[in-house]
Formats: sequence, C-alpha cells, structure tokens
Amino acid sequence: MSSTPLDKIRNIGITAHIDAGKTTTTERILYYTGVSHRIGEVHDGNTTTDYMDQERERGITITSAAVTCEWKDYRINIIDTPGHIDFNIEVNRSLRVLDGAIFIIEGVAGVQPQSETNWRLADRYNVPRVIFINKLDRTGADFYRAFDTLKEKLDIVALPLQLPIGIEDKFIGVVDLVEMKAIVWEGGELGAKFHDEPIPADMLEKAKEHRQTLLDTALAVDDAGMEEYFEKGDVSVETLKRAIKTGTITGAFRPVLCGTAFKNKGVQPLLDAVLDYLPSPIDVPGIKVAVEEGEEEGDHQRRIKADPSAPFAGLAFKIINDKYGTLTFVRVYAGTLKSGDTVMNTTKGEKERIGRMFQMHADKRAEIKEVIAGDIAAFVGLKDTGTGDTLAAAEDPVVLERMAFPVPVIDISVEPKTKDSVEKMTLALQKLAGEDPSLRLKTDQETGQTILSGMGELHLEIIIDRLKREYGVEANIGAPQVAYRETIARSHTETYTHKKQSGGSGQYAEVKIIFEPLERNQGVVFENKVVGGSVPKEYIPAVEKGIRVQADTGVLAGFQTVDFKYTLVDGKYHDVDSSALAFEIAAKACFREGMKKANPIILEPIMDVEITTPQDHVGDVVGDLNRRRGMIQNQESAGSTVTVRALVPLKEMFGYISHLRSMTKGRASFTMQFHHYEPVPRNIADEIMAKSA
Amino acid sequence: MRLRWARGRGTIETMTGPRASEWLGLDDAGNPIARVIHLDGPMHTERGVFRAVALDAEQKLIRLLPLPPNDGDWLAVIGGRVVGRAAAPLAAVRRVEAAL
Repeated sequence: MSSTPLDKIRNIGITAHIDAGKTTTTERILYYTGVSHRIGEVHDGNTTTDYMDQERERGITITSAAVTCEWKDYRINIIDTPGHIDFNIEVNRSLRVLDGAIFIIEGVAGVQPQSETNWRLADRYNVPRVIFINKLDRTGADFYRAFDTLKEKLDIVALPLQLPIGIEDKFIGVVDLVEMKAIVWEGGELGAKFHDEPIPADMLEKAKEHRQTLLDTALAVDDAGMEEYFEKGDVSVETLKRAIKTGTITGAFRPVLCGTAFKNKGVQPLLDAVLDYLPSPIDVPGIKVAVEEGEEEGDHQRRIKADPSAPFAGLAFKIINDKYGTLTFVRVYAGTLKSGDTVMNTTKGEKERIGRMFQMHADKRAEIKEVIAGDIAAFVGLKDTGTGDTLAAAEDPVVLERMAFPVPVIDISVEPKTKDSVEKMTLALQKLAGEDPSLRLKTDQETGQTILSGMGELHLEIIIDRLKREYGVEANIGAPQVAYRETIARSHTETYTHKKQSGGSGQYAEVKIIFEPLERNQGVVFENKVVGGSVPKEYIPAVEKGIRVQADTGVLAGFQTVDFKYTLVDGKYHDVDSSALAFEIAAKACFREGMKKANPIILEPIMDVEITTPQDHVGDVVGDLNRRRGMIQNQESAGSTVTVRALVPLKEMFGYISHLRSMTKGRASFTMQFHHYEPVPRNIADEIMAKSA
Repeated sequence: MRLRWARGRGTIETMTGPRASEWLGLDDAGNPIARVIHLDGPMHTERGVFRAVALDAEQKLIRLLPLPPNDGDWLAVIGGRVVGRAAAPLAAVRRVEAAL
C-alpha cells in the first residue's frame, strides 16, 4: 500500500465500555496526526469515524470504522469500535485482525461490564494492549481508584507509566515515569501545545515509588536490562522501553496511561506509547492456520508470518454494502496482491478475482494498486467471500482460523408494509445479514413470517432503520421476543420405524437413536455407532440431516433444540424400499418421539445487568430487580453512586430503561449483556407453551 | 548492604525465549552469598501440590511452598535462609540487600 517499512506499521483498535471516550480519543488522534483539521465531537454529531446517520443522531458508534494516520514516520491503522454490547460483533471481528489495542477505561467508574467483555475478547485473540484511563477532568474522577478496578475486575498486572498531575478541573498533565518528567498541556490550540517540566515537588516521592515498581516489573522480562540496572543502578530510557514492549506483547503486564481526550490532554503520549509498546506486524507470532477436522488445537499449529515475499494470505473480516457495491475488508497477513490478481477463497474452495482495492478512511476511500503483508484494505469485486473467510494464493492454499460469532438472543418478526416490497425487503435483509454475522434471518415455518434475530433491542432497531433509510423498505415490526431454546434433561433411547409399503415402490427405514443432554453451549453433536451395516453407510448422512433439521423446531414450543448428543446405534433397512429420504423421515420422527421422553425443558437467556444509581434509589432498584426474577450479584459504592450488578432473565428486561428512568427521575443508567442460558421456571414454561400452542 | 549481582545457572522458558531463573548476589571477593530464585512448579507429590526451590547451589536443600497463597514467584535467600518473597526479581534483590 505504501512504502512504510513493516516495523513502522501499527494495526490497532480502540475499544472500551460505551461512553468511555473511544470516538473522542480517535478524533484527537486524527487531529494531532494531521489527518483532520478540526476536532469533531460526538455530541455535535460530526466525528470522522461515526459517519452513519444513526451514529451521528444517537451519539454512539455502531459500526467499526477504519482510519489511517501517520505519527513520527510510523503508519497507524486504527479501528474505532462500538461500545454498546448489541454491536459486540464489531469488536470481536476487529480484535481478531489487529496486532494491538488501546483499551480505554473511564476515570470515574473504572472498569465496567462491557470493558470486561471486550478485555476477555482481546485475551481470546492474544491482543497486546495499552490502557488509557480517560476523563480525568470529570467530577468524581480518581485515577488510583480506576486503576485498582483494573486489578480487581480484570485480574491483571497493571503497570502505570504515568501519574496524573491534579484531578477533575485541576488536571493539567501527567508525570512520565519512564523519563521521570512532567508533561503539562498549555490549554490553547486544542491541546496541540504542551511542554516538559520537572516533576512537581509534592509528587516526587510518589513518582519515585511508582518508578521502582515500574523497573521491578518491566525488568523482570528483560535479563539484559537487569544487568544494566545492577551495573548502573538505573537503566536507559531505551532499555526500559524495550522491556515494557516485551512485557506488553507477552501480556506479562499491561501498561497504563492517563488523560482526558475531551479536554485534549494526554493523547500525544498515548500515540507515542502505541509506537513504543504495541507490536508491528513482524513483532507478533503470526496468525494460526486452522487445524484439520479432528485435530487438536495447540502450539503445533502452523503460523503465517508477516512476509511480503511469501504466498498471499489474508482474512476477510468485514463486509459492507453501499451504493458502489460490496466492500470486503481484508487483513493481509502475508504476501503481496495487486488489483486484477486472482486468489483462492480457501474456506469455500472458490476462485476470486480482485477488482479495485481501497485504503479506507471511515466512509471515504483512496484507491490503491497493491497491498502487502501487514496492511488492512477493502476489496471490491469479491463474489462469494463472507466474513471470516480466508483468501490465499493457490500455491499455498491455507485456511486461517475462523472467527467465533455471538449467539443472537432477541427475535422480531418483520413484514413489509406493502406486498410489492416483499422481494425488496428479503434482498435487503439478506444483504444486511451478510454484513453482520450476529444478525440471523429465518422464516417461521408455521406462520411464514420473516424472523430477524439479533443481539438486543437497539441492534434490531438500527437494522430496521437501515432497512428504511438505505433500502427504502418500510416494515411492520412485531414486538421483540426472547430467543428461547429447548434442550433435554435426561438420556433416552428411541427406536422408530418408518414404513410405507402399500403398493408401488415403498419406503422403509428403522433407526435406534440415543439422545443425551450436553453441557450448555455444546451445540448438537452426532455420533455414528452402527456396526455390521444395520444402517448402510450411504444412509447415515440422511439420519444426521433429519435430526439437525428437526432440531430447529423443538418438541415443547417450537424453539431450536440445543446442547444434546444423538448417537445412531442401530437400525434396519430394506433392499428395495429403503432410501435416504426414508431414513431422513425416520430420523425426524424419532427425534419428535424421543425428545418428548427425554425430559425436554425450555432455556431462556439470562443477562448480566449493571445499574448505576444514586444512593437514595438503591432500595427501589434492588426491589424492582427482585420482582423481575433478578439475582443480585453485588453492590459497590463509589462516592454518592452505587453500582448494582445482577443476573436477570432477558424476558424481564424489555422496556427496562424507561421504567428505570421514571423510578430514579432519570438519574440511573444501566447496561446489560448476555451471560448464559438457563432453564425457565415451570410456570413460565407453561405460559410459553400455551402461547405457542 | 549492596551486592554485585550476576546471572545464576537456571533458566525459565518464556514466550520470548529463555530467561534467568536465578540471580547471584556476590560479595566484594566475588563469592556468592545470596541468591534470588524463581519458584518452580507446581510440583505434584503424594502430600499435595507444591512449588519448589533449591536454596543452595548443589540443590541439596529444597524448599517446598504450598499452593496457594501466591505472594510472589521469587524467593530471596541468604545462605540457606529465606528472607523474603517478591513478585519480581529486582524486588527480591532489594529484600536480600535490606536483610544483610
């Protein structure tokens, strides 16, 4: 893409809880790096990365936007991600393809639920991180309290590289513990001007103490640095930075910086930290190649290293459709690719010709002729490539590890307002579902309605809004429904014979299947234990398919059946009358009969809810949560506010925000995210079954 | 009392390669009089699970530490006597020097 050497490229994400200041920080970064000549503000609806109408109107990030900037001869590709849990898929896929991340937490509340979720996602993909404690200008901000929540809630070795000078409206700068100096912002020119000065006398002792902790922790990962310390009694800035980078990349500790992006303080040192401590594409071990079926995952897996001269390998991580067609975002891991080249989609086994290629800057784009290892770019012209697919050179057709996507928990029915829009709506929804793997589309087999499943009310609201604005389809929406699941609580063996042999060619198949419950989130597992050919090999896939299809409609209330294993142990066939169809029909009927006897139960999604409320409303909030079948997990006080955390069934949370507002006169706020599925109480199961009857 | 410190014999395998698991504190004559040592383990025995460390150069004096509590991976040792425990080798070095 450009001539920037690989060691001077940083592919990073900015991730955090909602409203922690990701987009605000990104705006400052773009301003200080000269990409933009004014600072956009979230509350004014004019930021660079929140370019969708819905983002600007609501002041939230919905889709992750890619922007590129230059800082001190380095190229930084940044992805700004959403904070709201409903759009967690964006965080998931961004972290999957990034080499590092800035993790922002709020200086008042510290680590919040969504911070924990995103942190664990970053852990899953081993993404090195620097932490930025933001909003230190806010009333109630406390760097040290926020810092403590890092250790308490994330269970990490957090290592401060800076200490704040002043707090709230007196916050003026930071003590840099690496170079032992103060950095003070001068107030004018939108934070572009700052200067170094000696550490304030009243902070010197504290700074020395924290620097010793910094040396202790950082040098523990760098023997040469230890030797330098023993020899000189200190280490050079270069040595210390090298040790911090090693510890950051290996995850031995997590460096912590601080500031207030909104008040334009602390962002430039944060950019320096990105260069100094986050890895370039060649500093990371390389992406793993997916294992063959049946093979265990582990350290033996081949890794693709960032090498421009190696065969091409890239991962499609995001797809958007706009007026110019379909844009496929690709992280290039190895090789070089030019527009017009042909590659393999090794996930699907199809050839793909690369049309035009673009470097993206939020919703703007610059055409490029070539991409190389380490780049993130958008391709036009790919026909069959979906999110998570690998593109690779034919001479080394590797398949990279796929991405994991969250399970949707809310359904709504949707139908066009006019009959002639049916086809238009279906096409539009298919396109939207193609962009967003956390959105599922299905047709209710009984009512014929189109059912849209998503991550939350806001997620589906935005989709319906996009349907109207981008595709011109007005739709009637049903009330949101909980995405219940069904499963079984005990094992049962069922034998079923499908027989239709009255004249002409008949149908005959018998199957004996053991149905067993599995732990949550294990999905549906099939095992074939037939011996002696009692069910011929060619009919086994039909049995497997029959059960999988039938499992979409559970025996209690028609919900998808999950977390069970079915083992085909025996059966019978007829030389003339047996067929794949007959075995599929037998398997479906065996499921319907067998599951009824295996103690079927309905599962409901349980949400992790966190409510921040003024102290005088805690009683009302807790009482209300109890009425909603909530299980209080803990309560924590911070100043005059209390944070209540509870596990509450999703069914009880519809419309909660307006109730909470009226209960607390608009002073409380809440967040929630999916936690787990759990069996519903008997009386509610009866209600659900009665409704579906 | 300040000592001169040098890498000892052992290594720990880490993501970025082998790293010293022992630092020796030398007196003015260059004799090792103290050491900071990384705890090995967990080690499964009939009596339970422990972390282990050799307190002397000949590895004759072995100390077993229960799991948990985990109050630091590095042991500060003077002669065969444990004088402290710390999360990082440098902090353990300071414990040794403070105890001398």
